[in-house]
Formats: sequence, C-alpha cells, structure tokens
Amino acid sequence: MPLFRKPNKQNKTNSYEWIADNLLGWVLVIGAILGWWSISQSISDLVMPGPIAVGKTLIELFIDPLFVDDILISTIRVIGSVIISVLLGMMLALLPKNYPITEIIVQERIKPFLNSFPSVGWAILAVIWFGSSNFSVMFVQVAILTPFCLVNLTEGLKDLDQEIIEMGKSFSRNKYKIFFKITLPLLLPYIIAAIRIAYGVCWKIALVSELFGAEDGIGVIMLRAQTTANASMVFASCFAIVIIFMLGEKLIINPLAKLAEPK
Amino acid sequence: MPGPWPVLIRFIEFFSEMSFVMHLMWSLIHILTAIIISFVIGLILALLPFYLSITKTAIDRRLTPFLNSYSGIGWTLLAVLWFGINDFTVIFAITMVLVPFTIINIREGLVQLNTEILEMSKSFSRNNLKTLRLIILPSLYPYLFASIRISFGVSWKVALTAELFGGNKGLGYLLNLARQDFDTPLILVVILIIVIFVYSIERFVFKPLQNILAAHNATI
Repeated sequence: MPLFRKPNKQNKTNSYEWIADNLLGWVLVIGAILGWWSISQSISDLVMPGPIAVGKTLIELFIDPLFVDDILISTIRVIGSVIISVLLGMMLALLPKNYPITEIIVQERIKPFLNSFPSVGWAILAVIWFGSSNFSVMFVQVAILTPFCLVNLTEGLKDLDQEIIEMGKSFSRNKYKIFFKITLPLLLPYIIAAIRIAYGVCWKIALVSELFGAEDGIGVIMLRAQTTANASMVFASCFAIVIIFMLGEKLIINPLAKLAEPK
Repeated sequence: MPGPWPVLIRFIEFFSEMSFVMHLMWSLIHILTAIIISFVIGLILALLPFYLSITKTAIDRRLTPFLNSYSGIGWTLLAVLWFGINDFTVIFAITMVLVPFTIINIREGLVQLNTEILEMSKSFSRNNLKTLRLIILPSLYPYLFASIRISFGVSWKVALTAELFGGNKGLGYLLNLARQDFDTPLILVVILIIVIFVYSIERFVFKPLQNILAAHNATI
C-alpha cells in the first residue's frame, strides 16, 4: 500500500482534489488515533488501553525473544499451510479434468461440504482427534483453506485456452510434458490468486486454530492476554498480525505475482 | 470419534429438546441482526466516496484494508473486555467482520456503474435522492445481493467463534459446553446442522433468487 497515491494521468481531476483526498486519508488515521487516545483517557487501562500503551506492547512483541519465537512459529505454520492447501486444492481441481467421473464428487459434494464447515468446528475436532500439536493447528488451517484454493483453481481450469492445449497435444502425447509446459504456466495467474487469498484468510484463522490446538503462537499469546485481562496485549497481537500480514504481502506475494506476470 | 449412528440419534434428540432449538434460534437472531446492521453501515460507507470524492482514500485505502485484515477473534476478545459476555458482544463482533466485505462488494458495483445512464438521469433530474432510488440502487442490485450472500456465508463461521468466546446463548455456546464435557457427538451434531443449514439456504434460497434476479436484469 503506497503512502501517497499518485495522481491518475488519464483521469484529469485537478491536483487540488487529489491532495485533499490524500490529506483526508491521513486525517482519518490521525483522527482515529486521537479519538482512541481521548476515549482511553477516561476509561481504565484494563478495558481500553491508549495508543501509547498498545504501541509499547507492540514493540515488545517484536523485540522480546519469547514473543518473537511465537510470532515466527505462527508465520511458519501459515506459510506451510498455504503451500499444502494450494497443492491439495490443485490436485482436487485437476482430478475431474483427468477423470470426468469425479466431477460431481469434487464440485458438488466435497466443495460445498468443506465450504460450509465452520472453522471452529475443525479447531475443536482437531484438538479432540490429534491433541495440542503443530499438526492439529496446520490441519485446521489446511481444512479451511483448501476450498478457497479449489474454487479459484477450478475457475482457472475452466478459462484455459483449449486451442493451446490441443496444439500441445499435436506436438507430444506425453501428459506430464503437456502439464508442465502448457497447463501449469497457463494456470499460474490463478495459482498466484489462490496463494494470495489463502494467505489472507490463513492469517485471520491462524488465531482461531491456535486458540484451541496449540501451546505456542500468536493465538496463545492473545488467549493468555484475554484471560489475564491484558487488553493492550490483545490489541497489540491483533495489530502485530495486521503488520506481518502486510509485510508478507509486500515482500513475498507481490514479488511472486510479478514473477508470474506474462512477459 | 463416534460413528454415524450415535450422531444421528443425537441429531434427532437435538430437535426434540426445546433448549437446543432455542440456541439455534438465538444464533439465527444474532446473524440476521448483524447482517442487517453491517449491510446498512457498509452501504453508507461505500456510497460516501461516491458523493464526497475526497473521502475516497480514507475509505478505500485506510478503513477497508484495516477492517479487512483485523481478525474476527480479535474483535470478539476485545468486545468481551468492553461489553462483557452478552448478545451485544456477539452481534458487534460479527458486524465488524462483515462490514469490510459489504464495502468491498458495493464499491465494486459502484465502479462498474454505467456512467452513461447516470448522465442521462442527470439530464432528467437534479434530484440526488431520486437518482439514488431510481438509478443507482437498482443497478447495484446484483452487488447488494452478492454482498448479502457472502455476508451470510461468512457470518455463520464468525458467529460460532463469537458465541463461543463472548456469548451466553447460541450454537457456539452449545459447542463450548459440548467441548468442555468432551461430548463429541453433540459437537458433530452442531457442525452437521450448520453444514446442512448453510448448504440448503445457499441452494434453495440464494440460487433461485439469483436466477430470478438474473432473469429480471436480462429483461431490462
């Protein structure tokens, strides 16, 4: 997210309006922080900590090695789950393509079922089935992310240019060759979109999955903070997730998307 | 891991016991209230940049991304600290999660708005309210519908979490009780009910509605 939006060249709105637009964007941010601060002045820190207290806790989160460990573990789990669920979604999406008989099973049974299965349900079941472990956290995340990836990649497969694939077939009958040289490159934009969505959703549900089935991670920090009525820590851990999410999108997802762009 | 048979028996028992059905009703009330509130807030916030173009950055690049990346469980835990464990907490948490979805959807619809029709309407009347009622809202129908549909799907998932941590009624609360008693059949029954409910609403309410809407749009 750029701090200032560049004026649109095609759209000849005057620069005065553009400045006012950006100014108001910042006024909103500063106003929100000031408003928050003034509210927090009159209410106990236990209920509504001010921006300064939360800021201090936030810095502590990123400096204290104990917390950094938790953040790192959550991040690694998120990345791992995204990779697994994209692969899984891809396999499920490709299945009806190679075996048309599985079309209804995947699209009309597995997809709606996974899609409407509540995430807390997975979280609770995973704890009962697998206990508190890394595996149960990642199981929950993969179970929730897979339908998102499946929907996206199915769309991508529908949009594939059939003529190019036909051309590929006229050059070679080797299925793997066609898949890796034609289908996969054509699918790339959809794979990137699936990764992007999965990554965004995964951070949101990382907390839920860690609240029940983990002994470490940001979710545990948050739950501990909530039970000890440490509101500034609850705030800070939410902000920490927002920050890590944006960093990840800027440093990993956007460069990946650039790489995948057709030259 | 209970087999299908005990789950089925619990499923039938569920509907014969009044208090369980009440939990289901309460979840429904929470969800519907939150959807209505978030729809109104989202609509207002999405229309704001349309009429006041200087609020564009504030809404599109500050408020929406922030709300969108703030996690639902964070809202729930904060709401518990602020308002205690009650219905308001649950509705508040669900609403906060739904608002960005509504804004994004309606903003998308406003971007796609046919500017020529808008211009035509301006040549007929300068009355802004009239244009909103007769031109803008009708052309937004597909997007308004989509935002309600998405809200419904998302709200179920959020409602469970919110009720689990911040509610004293509802299916999420029931799930929490079942979890504490290690009553796995009941957990599966609650999940099953939600899966069936969400799927059938999607299949028997939203899909036909969408077809009607599409047919209606095709005639214009």
